[in-house]
Amino acid sequence: MSERKPLVLIIDDEEPIRNACSFIVKGMNCDTALAGDGEQGLKMIKEMKPDISIIDLKLPQMDGFEVLEKSTALFPNMVAIVITGYATVDHAVEAMKRGAFDFIPKPFTPEELRVIIKRGLDRRSLLLERETLRREKKLLEENFITIVSHQLKSPIAAIVQYFEVILTGAAGEISKETLDIITKAKIRAESLLNMVNDWLDLSRMNHQQMGEDIKSVPLGKLLEKQVGFLESLAGKEGISLILEPYTGSDVVQGNETFLDQLFYNLISNAITYNKPHGSVTISLKTEKDGVFVSVSDTGIGIPSEHLPLIFEQFYRVRHKTKKSKGTGLGLSIAKKIVDSHHGRIDVESKEGKGSTFTVFLPKTFHKTT
Amino acid sequence: MKENKKILVIDDDPDFQEAVTSILKSADYEVVTASNPEEGKEKIFSEKPNLILLDIMMDSLFDGFSLCHTIKTSKEFKEFNDTPIIFVSAVKEQTGSRFQFDGDEEGMVGPDDYIDKPVKADKLLVTIEKFINK
Ligand SMILES: Nc1ncnc2c1ncn2[C@@H]1O[C@H](COP(=O)(O)OP(=O)(O)OP(=O)(O)O)[C@@H](O)[C@H]1O
Ligand SMILES: [Mg+2]
Repeated sequence: MSERKPLVLIIDDEEPIRNACSFIVKGMNCDTALAGDGEQGLKMIKEMKPDISIIDLKLPQMDGFEVLEKSTALFPNMVAIVITGYATVDHAVEAMKRGAFDFIPKPFTPEELRVIIKRGLDRRSLLLERETLRREKKLLEENFITIVSHQLKSPIAAIVQYFEVILTGAAGEISKETLDIITKAKIRAESLLNMVNDWLDLSRMNHQQMGEDIKSVPLGKLLEKQVGFLESLAGKEGISLILEPYTGSDVVQGNETFLDQLFYNLISNAITYNKPHGSVTISLKTEKDGVFVSVSDTGIGIPSEHLPLIFEQFYRVRHKTKKSKGTGLGLSIAKKIVDSHHGRIDVESKEGKGSTFTVFLPKTFHKTT
Repeated sequence: MKENKKILVIDDDPDFQEAVTSILKSADYEVVTASNPEEGKEKIFSEKPNLILLDIMMDSLFDGFSLCHTIKTSKEFKEFNDTPIIFVSAVKEQTGSRFQFDGDEEGMVGPDDYIDKPVKADKLLVTIEKFINK
């Protein structure tokens, strides 16, 4: 990156003064731009975003005060220095009140101008630094959970990655016994990673306003995307994912990231708790005020006594045929998301036959007040 | 003998670099690494990789996004605008969750593909082969 010279804009209706100022300022290793009246000056401030503007208070048409006020409102980090025509303190004070950093009374010597420009430049770098810090702080605040999650996940990811290297034989031959042990270690590390992921999803939802980033989301496309993501997981067990054709509008207002997550959780459950070579059918139905999406599987089902509890945090069903490796957070997250969209989620299930989770999402998003 | 294809791994985690390098080398790729976006840019010019594996979060939050955009669109990287880039990230791919990206997220040119970190060796190799044939 090349360091740009500071840009100083000089707004004065008297050409000799403009030129003299420009000459002095250029001698201080700055670039200059010149404007002969207020209107032109303001236009140039907007276009060029100068570091410093020197503004004569007495200008034809739009006077210096107006330029000062308008430009400092737009660019609070610009340093404005005013030239006061007559040695009246009143004008200077008024200008400072309206956002000028300093003033210089006419007539002035080159040295006087240099001193004031020098101070203006210092001020400018301070303002810019403050702005950068402020922006960084905001970014950190907004993404706090993303950062924490990154810090927590990175070491586990690295461990799993090394196991993967050993298991693929990329680090050389290993015995069958070692292979078994590393496989077990990797499974545990992976489930730790999943747990951290779930936890973070949940805390993200507590912290982040669910009502943010609301836009129109075409659910059909979103489901297609999730099916695409999950195809390889389903393929391993020979499970087929079917997205049924639908008619009518599939668009609802909502937070796309959360809706992604909602259907990911439901569809991945329908795959995980399925039977080999089973299927998952996803269908979409449009109603007057919203859209129904159902995720239906041919899996192991949920015994009726457990049904009321599955949306609780950490609740897992002890299935006779399948040991759950999850954390028990997926459905509680799903429910949170549906609730925040003022929708409904229902489940129907028959042990040994399969389950159907049905979500209703209203077309318009109502912000909770 | 046919030249091996070259892959540039840009990631600030040395352990991840090492692990992925082993996997790629075992599949007969030549591998070069970089630990930050700046080094990554230098290596692109000096090594002219056939494909780039790029971490999203390095020193600062969105390094990967902006580096990707730069490589794909800038004049400086004209010669490499078409070099395939695969994001490798611990941000969950499945849910499609993305960062909050201050405003100018729109209009950013993204990668050719994503994979999750930790990467599965077979998934990694299959994804790479989508873009370069050995
Ligand atoms: N489609 C389904 N068929 C049968 N059982 C299910 C189904 N979906 C959920 N369950 C049962 O409900 C429990 C809670 O599901 P939930 O998704 O909340 O957690 P999990 O899958 O165990 O873990 P994770 O947090 O990783 O998703 C599961 O442990 C499982 O026993
Ligand atoms: Mg689950």
